Amino acid sequence: MGKITRKVMMIGGAITPPNVPMEWTWRQLATEVFWNALQEAGVAIKDVDLVTCAYNDRTIVDSSIGPQVADALGIVPKPVMVTASACAGNGIASYVAWNAIASGRCDVVVSLGFARSDNYDAMEAMNSQGNYVDFDYLLGLTHINYGGIRDDYYKRKYGATIEDAARWVYQCHWYARRNPLAAAYGKPMPVFEELAADTPEADRDRQATNRGGVASCMIFVGEDVAARYTDRPAVFNVAYAYRPPYVGNFFHYPVPGLADYDMAELSGLMVAAREAYGLAGITPEQIDVVQVHDLTAFEGFMAIEALGICPVGQGKDYVAAGGMTLESRCPVNTYGGGPAFGHGSVGCDFQAGLLENFWQLRGQCGERQVGGEPRLGVNSSYGTHHSLDAVGVLQRAW
Amino acid sequence: MSEQFPEFFVRLDTFSSAVWYRNKAARYRLEGTRCTACGATFFPPRTGLICPHCHARAMEPYECPPTGEIVARTLDEMFPAHGYGDYLPRIMVIVRLDDGTHVMSEVMDVADPAEVQVGARVRMVLRKHRREDTGAWVYGPRFVLEA
Repeated sequence: MGKITRKVMMIGGAITPPNVPMEWTWRQLATEVFWNALQEAGVAIKDVDLVTCAYNDRTIVDSSIGPQVADALGIVPKPVMVTASACAGNGIASYVAWNAIASGRCDVVVSLGFARSDNYDAMEAMNSQGNYVDFDYLLGLTHINYGGIRDDYYKRKYGATIEDAARWVYQCHWYARRNPLAAAYGKPMPVFEELAADTPEADRDRQATNRGGVASCMIFVGEDVAARYTDRPAVFNVAYAYRPPYVGNFFHYPVPGLADYDMAELSGLMVAAREAYGLAGITPEQIDVVQVHDLTAFEGFMAIEALGICPVGQGKDYVAAGGMTLESRCPVNTYGGGPAFGHGSVGCDFQAGLLENFWQLRGQCGERQVGGEPRLGVNSSYGTHHSLDAVGVLQRAW
Repeated sequence: MSEQFPEFFVRLDTFSSAVWYRNKAARYRLEGTRCTACGATFFPPRTGLICPHCHARAMEPYECPPTGEIVARTLDEMFPAHGYGDYLPRIMVIVRLDDGTHVMSEVMDVADPAEVQVGARVRMVLRKHRREDTGAWVYGPRFVLEA
């Protein structure tokens, strides 16, 4: 770790609502959130030093995308740093933003991500993302297959059940009915017994909802700059880590931090969390609220375990004891999670959790607001099949 | 393939003869690599790459054993359009080979998916998989239950 010259503060952000117009191009998606976030935070476009941008290089086939983003946002000739790191891409874009500010090179950086998943010309093209293409995808083995196998393995190793999964998903839906930005907002609550059924339909209902076109962004500034814009900034820290890209190598990969684990633990997320917590100077016991990126409930259990909210293998017990709810010492997925807020790849999978924590710290979450004036929120996101994991830590600075 | 979908009609990434040529040893006989400095073995092969364990750059071909045990399984019933219409549900597995290497694959030649359970012994076979861009058939590794 090099020398960090100053803290990084988050002062605002924005996300598109579900069901954005079909007519919108990815440029409009990106511009919508950039404009809204800057307007709300009172930041002039001329003050933005850098935009870091995550995009999906299979859905946005335009090459050399940086100048196009800069042009759309009206910041030319200032630079856009582009990253393509699957669904957690904005975690990496925010990592780049953090570095630019912590080093002192930039004062104001906007971290942006967008996805226009209906740009895919085939379901199969989407399924290739994150695979070790030569040895799984081209042989007909997708990362969706990985998800099913991983859940099976986790269930066997730690004794988790479909009913445990239904409990996670149900609570996500409960929060989503209280979050106007969630894909499931305004829809009838699912019936728990139907969610817990052992049928293909119920299995589908326990997985993530696709948001389609989505974009979101955050505004980060140096600690000495924040007071120009707000008296309620939040200290932001972020880290990310990798596991090997081939699924078979999740089993006891021979490097420190990974060798003791297999497919049932998110060892990369553990590594990232340790670094992020170290930067923030916190321990898991201090965390007031957690948001995770979960395409299945079992993945959610694995994430809260890796983040240290509960011991490894006991995610289901934490949830069964009411750990996700507002009455818990550390509520989970108040934004609605993958099953009910919706999955949006680089458009929201990291940002939705970070923005939710920002609004939670500010007390702006209405009926889903965590009590006791939360001071510390953590969010996680992953890309590919958990080959890369990102962790964000947000702390009140007021 | 199936009567409904006799050939793939979806676009595939990196679908060239060159890719298939480069990975043929691994596809035909599960050839991975072994680090000559520390002895760590890997699949897929790390030919020309750095060992993550000892950081040497000294890989040699290493043939993984063709037999092992299923450690995880799931059924894929979702994608007839991908060209597997005659094989649904597909039985997707993680196999721990007899040397401890883990591979992701599919179990074939089973009348009832219930026959394939965690703990079952399996053996690698080659199966016709899909066409490369020249029209030639590509073969890939799959597994069958050991008798």
